Order: sequence, then C-alpha cells, then structure tokens
Amino acid sequence: MKVRRSTPLTIIMLAALAYFLLPLVWLVIASTKSTQDLFTTFGLWFSRAPQLFANIGSTVAHDGGVFTQWLLNSVIYAVVSAVGAAFLAATAGYGFAKFSFRGHGVGFNLVIGAIMVPTTALAIPTYLLFAEVGLVNTPWAVILPSLINPLGLYLMRVYAQDAVPDSLIEAARIDGAGEARIFFGIALRLLAPGLVTVVLLTLVTTWNNYFLPLIMLNDPKLYPITVGLASWAAQAQNGNAGANSEMLSLVVTGSLLSIIPLVVAFLLLQRYWQSGLSAGAVKQ
Amino acid sequence: MSGGRHRAAGPLFVAPFLVLFALLFLAPLGYAAYLSLFQHKLIGGTVFVGLDNYVKAVADPLFLRGVLRVATFFVLQVPVMLLLGLLFALALDSGLTRLAKVIRLGIFVPYAVPSVVATLMWGFLYGPDYGPFAQLGRIFDLPVPDFLSDSWILGSIANIVTWEFVGYNMIILYAALRTIPKELYEAAAVDGAGAWRTAWSVKLPALKPALLLTLLFSVIGSFQLFNEPKLLWTLVPTVIDTAYTANFYAYSLAFTGQQVNYAATVSFLLGLVIVIVSYAVMLTANLRRAA
Amino acid sequence: MPAFTRRSFLAAMGAVSLSGALAACGGDDTGAATEPVSQSDIDKAMKTPTELTFWTWVPDIEQEVALFEKKYPAIKVKVVNAGQGTPHYTKLRTALQAGSGAPDVVQIEFQYIPTFTVIDSLLDLRAYGAAKLKDEFVDWTWGQVSGQNGEIWAIPQDTGPMGMLYRQDIFDTYGIGVPKTWDEFAAAARTLHAANPDVYLTNFAANQAAAWHGLMWQAGAKPYVSTSKSDITLNVNDDVAKKVAKYWGGLAQEGVIGVETDFTDAWYTALNSGKYATWLTAAWGPVFLSGSAKSTAGKWRAAPLPQWDTAKPSSGNWGGSTSAVIRSTKNSIAAAQFAQFLNSDPETAKMFATKQFLFPPTKALLTDPGFVDEPLDFYGGQHVNKEFADIGDTVNLSFQWPPFLDQVATDFTETVGKSLTDKTDTVAALDQWQSRITAFAKNQGFTVR
Repeated sequence: MKVRRSTPLTIIMLAALAYFLLPLVWLVIASTKSTQDLFTTFGLWFSRAPQLFANIGSTVAHDGGVFTQWLLNSVIYAVVSAVGAAFLAATAGYGFAKFSFRGHGVGFNLVIGAIMVPTTALAIPTYLLFAEVGLVNTPWAVILPSLINPLGLYLMRVYAQDAVPDSLIEAARIDGAGEARIFFGIALRLLAPGLVTVVLLTLVTTWNNYFLPLIMLNDPKLYPITVGLASWAAQAQNGNAGANSEMLSLVVTGSLLSIIPLVVAFLLLQRYWQSGLSAGAVKQ
Repeated sequence: MSGGRHRAAGPLFVAPFLVLFALLFLAPLGYAAYLSLFQHKLIGGTVFVGLDNYVKAVADPLFLRGVLRVATFFVLQVPVMLLLGLLFALALDSGLTRLAKVIRLGIFVPYAVPSVVATLMWGFLYGPDYGPFAQLGRIFDLPVPDFLSDSWILGSIANIVTWEFVGYNMIILYAALRTIPKELYEAAAVDGAGAWRTAWSVKLPALKPALLLTLLFSVIGSFQLFNEPKLLWTLVPTVIDTAYTANFYAYSLAFTGQQVNYAATVSFLLGLVIVIVSYAVMLTANLRRAA
Repeated sequence: MPAFTRRSFLAAMGAVSLSGALAACGGDDTGAATEPVSQSDIDKAMKTPTELTFWTWVPDIEQEVALFEKKYPAIKVKVVNAGQGTPHYTKLRTALQAGSGAPDVVQIEFQYIPTFTVIDSLLDLRAYGAAKLKDEFVDWTWGQVSGQNGEIWAIPQDTGPMGMLYRQDIFDTYGIGVPKTWDEFAAAARTLHAANPDVYLTNFAANQAAAWHGLMWQAGAKPYVSTSKSDITLNVNDDVAKKVAKYWGGLAQEGVIGVETDFTDAWYTALNSGKYATWLTAAWGPVFLSGSAKSTAGKWRAAPLPQWDTAKPSSGNWGGSTSAVIRSTKNSIAAAQFAQFLNSDPETAKMFATKQFLFPPTKALLTDPGFVDEPLDFYGGQHVNKEFADIGDTVNLSFQWPPFLDQVATDFTETVGKSLTDKTDTVAALDQWQSRITAFAKNQGFTVR
C-alpha cells in the first residue's frame, strides 16, 4: 500500500531541519573569517575575503600543533573508554540477565541509581582519591571513570535478555561448553548490535566530556579537544596581559574541526543506533 | 537444570563491572558523604560538624532557589522537548515525509556537538547588538527579544538544551516505532483507520516505555543542569549568577568558595531530590520498574 | 616558627586530603628555609641536575626561560600553561589540596597573593637572596609582594597601572575635551550620548571586579586590611567606595555609559565599531587594543585617568603578575633563583617588555628611553609607554587584597555589577556586597572588624 507523501509535512520538517542546522551554518561561515572580520561583518554571511584554509592552518599550527594533539587525545580517550565500557557492560549485562544469584537485584538497581547522582558530587572526591594513587594528570584519570556506563549496563541487560535465548545457552551447556566459551563464542556475537550502541553512546559521552578532564588534567598536552578549546576561549575572553582576541578565530575554526569526527562517525554507523536503542526503548 | 558450575558464573560475569563501579563510584561517593560531615575553614582548619551542613543547606535560600529553578526548567522544557521529539519521530515514521533520512540525521547531529561548542554558537546568535537575529530584527523593523536578559535567559538556555537533545530523544522514539510489528498496522488498516487514528491507537501505546525512558533521562538531565548555564555565565555574569542551578551552586561552592564539604552536602541533597522526583514520575506513570 | 606553621598547614589539609596524613609522617617539607641560604649552597644547587615545573600563561615565555637555562645548564624548566586567570588558580588550589601535582614556580597576579599565603602555600624568598632586588622594582609593586612580617612572597613581573585610552576622532567630532576630572568625565558622557544615542563615552564592565578595585585604589580606598592572618577589616562600603559607587551607579542609571561584559566577542565588535569612545584600562591595554580593534588604528590616544583631586594625581592598578615559588617544592633553591632571574635579569626583563609587551615593574626599564620613547602608530605616534610610566608613579603605595579573592570578585559581580546592569541603587548593592563577604569571612573563621 503506497503512502502518499505530504508536501506540507515535508516543508515543516525541513523548517525544523533548518533550525537545527542554523548554528552549524554560522559556525562554518564564521570559520572562514579572520578575527577582525568576525567583529565587523554580518554573522550569517561571508566576508569579502574568506580564508577558511588559512584559518585551519593557523588552528592546527598554533602553539606547536597542540590542536591535533588534543584531537588525538579525544580519539584515544573516547575509543578506549567506549570499547572498554561496552565490554564491561556486556559481560555484566549478560551476567545480570542470564543468571540469578544472590544480590543481583540490589546490585543492578544500585548501578542504575548511580545515573541520578550529580557529577559534581563525585568530581573532587574522585580527584583526591586519584591523587592518592598518582593517577591525576594521566590519561587514566579520564578513561577509568568513563568505563562505568550505567545506561550501557541497562541496555546490555535488556539486549541480552532478548537477543540471547535461554534455550541456546542450555543447549550449549548440555553439549559441555564452559560458561566463558558460551559467552565469548555464542552470546557476544548475538549481542553485537547492542554492543555497538553502547560503544557509540560512550564514544559521544566521553568525546563531549568537559568537566571531568578539566579537573583531572593540568598538562595541556593531555587535554581532550573540549577542554583545549575552552582554554583557548578563556584566553580570548579574559582580561589582563596575555589576553589575545586573535584566539577567537582559532576557537571558532577549532570548534568546527572538532565536530567533524563525530558527525562522520554518526553518518557511518547510523543503522546501529536504531537497533540497539530500540531494545532498551521497547522493553522495560 | 542448574549445575553449581554455572551458578557461580553469574557473579564472575558481573564482577569486573561491579569492582570498577565500587572503586570509581562508591568509593568517591562514600568519601563525599564523609566530607559532607566536616567543615573546612581557611582559619581554623577542618572540624567535624555532623549534620550541620545538611541543616544549613535545607534552609539555604541559594540552594532552594537553584532547585526551584531547575524544577521550573524541567516543567517547561522537558514537555516541549519530548513533544517535539515525538512529533518528529511520528512524522518520520509515517513515511509521509520526503528526504526522511537526511532530516533524521540533521536533527540528530546536534547531539554530536559538545556543549562548549553549542553554547559558543548560540551565545553568538543571541547577541543583542551584533547577533544575526538582532541585526535582522533591526533591518526588518521587527521586535527581537533580548535573549540574554533576565526575563528571557531561562528560555534561551532551554532552547540550547532542546536543540542539543531533541534529536537524541527522537531517535529513541523512532527506534521504538520501527519495532512495531506490521500486523498491527494491517489490522488497523483493515479497520479503516487513517494516519491520525493509527498514530493514536497503534503507535502511541507502543511508545509508552520509550517515552518513560526519555522522561526519566530528562528528569536527571534537567535537575543536574550545569554545562549550559556555566558556559553562558561568562557572557552575562550579572544575569546568570553562580548559584543559578543547584549543580552550579555546588560547583561554585567547591571551586570559588573553597567550601568542598558544603559542596558535597549540596550535591547529596540534589541527588536526593532527583531520586524523589524520578520515583514520583515512575509511580505516576504507573509502570513497574524492572528489577 | 616553622614548626608552628607546618603543623597548622597540615591540620588544615588533614581531613580534606588523605595524603595530609602521609605528609605528617614523611615530613618532606624541604622548602621553608628561614636562615639565609649560603652562596655555596646556592652554587651547588644550581649545578645539580634538576627539573622545575613552571605554570604560566604568558605566551612564548620559552624565550626568556631559555636564557635562564643557558646560564644554568643543569636546570631544566618545564613550562606548562594550566589555564589563564581563574582556572589556573583553581587548578593550583586543587593540586595543593591533594598534596601532589603542584608546580615549583607559578605565575600569580598581585591580587591573588594573599589568597595563597593564607593557606601557607608560598615560599618566603628572603632566605634565598630576594631582598637585594628591592631597589630594582617600583616601590608599590614591592609593597604588593611583601608580607605582613616582611616576607617576600613573589618577584614582580609586570604591572597594570590604570589610565584612559580615548578615540581622538570621536572627541573631535562631538567637540569633547579630554576629561581631567571625574566631573568633566560625567558631563562628557552625557553630552556624547545625547548627541548620538548609539555611542557611549565608555563601558564599565559589570563583571570586572578588577577594574572596580583599580578605581577604588585610585580613590584612596583601603577595603581590605589584614593585620594578622586571621584578622581582617572589611570595608568595601566605606565613604570612598560609596562615592565611587554613587558616581558609576548614577551614570549607569542615566543610561549614558555601557555596562556590558568585557572581553566577549560582542564587546570586541563594539570597540571596532566605535560604540565606546574611551576605555579605562591598564598599561597592558594599549597593545591589547591594537591587536583587537585593528579597524580603528591611528584613532586612539592615551591619557591619565580622570582625577578626583587634580592637586594629587593618583591611579590604581589592574592586573600584573609575579613569579612565586610553591612552598612544598622539592627544589627550593633552584626555584627561588629561577623566579628571581626571570624577572630581574636585564635581558629577560627587556624581552618581556618588547616581545610580550608586558608593562615592566623595573625602574631600569621605566626610565629607559628606548622603552618609554617608543612611538606607537595605533595611537597616532604617541609615546604611550611614557604616559603609563608616568601614571605608574602615581599609583597609591599601599593597597591590600583579601585572602579569598575569588569569592569577593564573584560577590561583586552579583551585587554591585548586577546593580549596574539592572540600573538599581549601586550604593545599596555595595552594602549587600559588604554583608556577603563579611558572612563568608566569618564562616571561614576570620575575625572580622
């Protein structure tokens, strides 16, 4: 049964799309301007002398190439955290879903309840504890806390309940397979779409994380891109000797460059979003 | 069917996660609880004060105002955001829209933008003198509100948050819609239901669990509101103050006022408020939590 | 003395930092020498391979650091930019609280020194030979880095005496003379804004506690007086302050000055488009402006601030930094020598002035014709440095800062600053500010007079 396309609805949706893309359009346009032009030209149109490539060059070259270092840091932190978090969530989700042991209800609810705790409550105590063991100002200070993803655990548990039939597990047990073998050999493959979802979720959260790395890291060479950009913005916006309004054009161009990796990742991995999230959305 | 071997496997599977959880979450949380029982003074050092911090916080006008503000934010912003997410999801799922894939991705893209960048962009767009909206308003002689003024600022923050997260919520709802079995649609078609009727009686009921999920996330996100007010604060520090939201207050206490202990107290109380509201929401939705 | 301060320092850190317990046992407080360190000890330390960590946000400071490393090849200095202004201080405090991660040498602005001496985190440089540098620096800067008992907490690096930059062309267009008194300034503000509602004589940034303090400094106010570590007199709403508040609050209420936040892109745009005819700023302002408002090149001039009393010209200071040594450093001698060298060596001092355009605190540079007589094109060829050097001579000698500056500055913005943007009673806001910081001080254990 063919559904007739509705033009009015399309127009409304396109208008909504325009709203969502408007700030990004501004960002692209602003990235083509020199700092002086940022201050003197109309925001939503180009200047007479667009210099996008020059800006990109300056951004990447500034301060000994620290921008690319920041991008690299973000990639490392995000990927390591995402893979680690997904694996941990998968094993624990599988464990909670397929086994019944004492305290499993309490354990699970405790973790889910953890989502409700404001991050500011944990930031300083975590910092102090990490300082004890000398982890402050290292990549682990950012990666370790990101490995715990309560939402990921929830999704993996739901997914494990659905995607891995008990009958399959029982059959494997009867065949004499060990639990580890069942998990790694059979279950993990079935859990793959959910895993990808958790990877993506953690990827985004860690990539966009600002507050935690801000507290944990002192050395600019370890900053992820969020903290790095914010530090440039602070330099442009703080009065006193050393303030530098030139930084604004770097901040704008840097912001544009920083969004590209994630947007590309979204484009490439679109279909995984749906299948993974749908599991969590439909069941309870 | 239960051998001892695989019953022991359960705890082994969950152990890595739980151990890290204990170290990285429970330990700092416990330490924060411990800290909240003390007070550190610049002159006099650290003293044990028991529950004094909690007594002080519960009567603290700055804390109460911050909580009230995020509660207001929740009541105003979340329904708008979820409604938009729902409408977009329904529109895209209905098949009535052209370019659905492009639109879906475009609405979702803001989720990929870190709040630092989002606030930078919107902060510029909101500018009362040189922001594009203001300038266009002057050209076309239309009244444009001062988005960064006292009366509009909460709405402006709500706009940024909505812009960032509608796509995320939309995707969750859209995914739920995609799992509705075809048989239900066929049955509805046989009954002669049009697009709207189908939406009402087939799609919405199927969306209930997803809606509840997004609602719960929004409760937590709204009450913890921090990034956007803090980042906009640099632009308008006399409109947004350092206790604008409860979470911002806790942050300012810790980092500006150096009152780490009281900050821990405020954070705990905020967490308590979030738990209460979350449970209230779930009870009202009348669905049993999965245990 | 050392035992007392060490004990109270650790007690303060005790329950907040677990490592406090460890430090009490290990007792590795290698800093704090109270007896002058002998030259032979210094020589030995400077030949021992050492790595120093230096937190600073001055751009390209590696060039000055290289001169130090050339003189003392055994010492390597790692330069880290941990942020600028508030984030830098927050990180420093957190690292000090945790007992690890703090640098050896750190950039501290004048106004922040008491905030760090109250937690006993700075090293007294007297024992390391710093006293002999006193005469090289302008008197009021030396006063800023000196403690109540004669300690030397830091070495001045650059200053920010306040003056006025104005648009000659706007003044000419509207027939405004350069205001010499605050009354003339107010009259000019009204005239200018009446002639052109899109232009203001100046912008008083409602968030700029530093500028406010500079103006109070000029007016002769002494809002914070500490006689000992735990005693403090708070007077942000005394008669002098009220006079300043009434003045600016009045102008804000009349709508003849701007009150927007400074250093935002809207503010930069405003400067470029000629919305503001003057900028009341510090000695680092001229070079900053020439980089941020290129489209207005050649149109600005510099002059002293308008005065309350033309018979006694005075000014205040906004910003300016020093180099201080963190008390818990393991390399106190090397760090102390570095801090001293960096800021007093003639070559590095000259580089700061000519390469980073920091306004010097050394008497030598301020009387050096090569520096003061340099014409700046952005200011129509005016000898701006001389202008500010002369202003620097009029900065009031003593002005103390509170030991909790971040709190004071935030409270300022939320009371006095807000009254300026909301156009409400600024004098009443001053009282609110006073009560907020008094409550904070009392809560923190100070005896407030």
